[in-house]
Amino acid sequence: MSEDAGAGKRGHSALEEHMGFFYIGDEPAGDGVDVAIVAAGGEIDFAVSPQLRERLAAHVDAGRRRLLLDLSTVTFIDSTAIGVLMGAEMRVRELDGGSLALVCGDENRRVLRILEIAGIDSLIDVYDSRDEAISALAAAG
Amino acid sequence: MAGERAVTGGIASELRLPARASELAAAREYARGAAAAFGLDDDRCYEFAFAVNEAVTNAIRHGRPDEHGDIHLSVRADAERLTFAVRDCGTFAASTFDRVTSSERGRGFALMTRLMDAVQLCAAPGSTTVRLSTLACASRPAVELGV
Repeated sequence: MSEDAGAGKRGHSALEEHMGFFYIGDEPAGDGVDVAIVAAGGEIDFAVSPQLRERLAAHVDAGRRRLLLDLSTVTFIDSTAIGVLMGAEMRVRELDGGSLALVCGDENRRVLRILEIAGIDSLIDVYDSRDEAISALAAAG
Repeated sequence: MAGERAVTGGIASELRLPARASELAAAREYARGAAAAFGLDDDRCYEFAFAVNEAVTNAIRHGRPDEHGDIHLSVRADAERLTFAVRDCGTFAASTFDRVTSSERGRGFALMTRLMDAVQLCAAPGSTTVRLSTLACASRPAVELGV
């Protein structure tokens, strides 16, 4: 497996932090689309899930009722991140007409399977593409 | 030295990992390497690393590291079974288990049990160990060469 190349470098410095790669950021929606879009990528574990919580909470705090979280390029998601999704869904639902949608296409089947096993797909709608999720959010509210 | 990697054929190895969230990626890498050495296919290596990540996350969040600030990971394998142990020096409180099962920690446990063939919790004063086991057979078709 490919990690062998880097394995020997580990442990030589107490300062060396081996974080998994990740990305969490806001992305623009199209003109006239009232949906707050957050894209996440890479490995979303306990080291990173607080940042995901903050990013989603910022939108809820700002009163954004329609949230879209795109997990298409997430390669790993753990139970703490799943807890963040559940918490965000509960918070946004408290807003009038609030809704959270996830995007995770079929090609990302490993993450999709984790979401299914965790039972997320029965609580939060998961869409194949951003366009589908945006349409559903617009229709819902 | 912490961080030394010594998976050789998936037989037996140990790793002491600093009890920090930033080390979780290293724990996953270690678990994935062990699962690959054991011969699991890519999907099952991923699931194995996922389950290990949950156990290590619990140890970091709720357990107690040793005097060096580490938690202890170890791998054992025979022909049929790969077992990964995550040990910390905390005392698991059985009285909190009901609360645990409905919490985030409980969600992690539930996911582990869905993905592994066996999940064992060994709680003693000052030592909590979670053992995750997976069987080889699911990914190893019994190929027998005609003799």
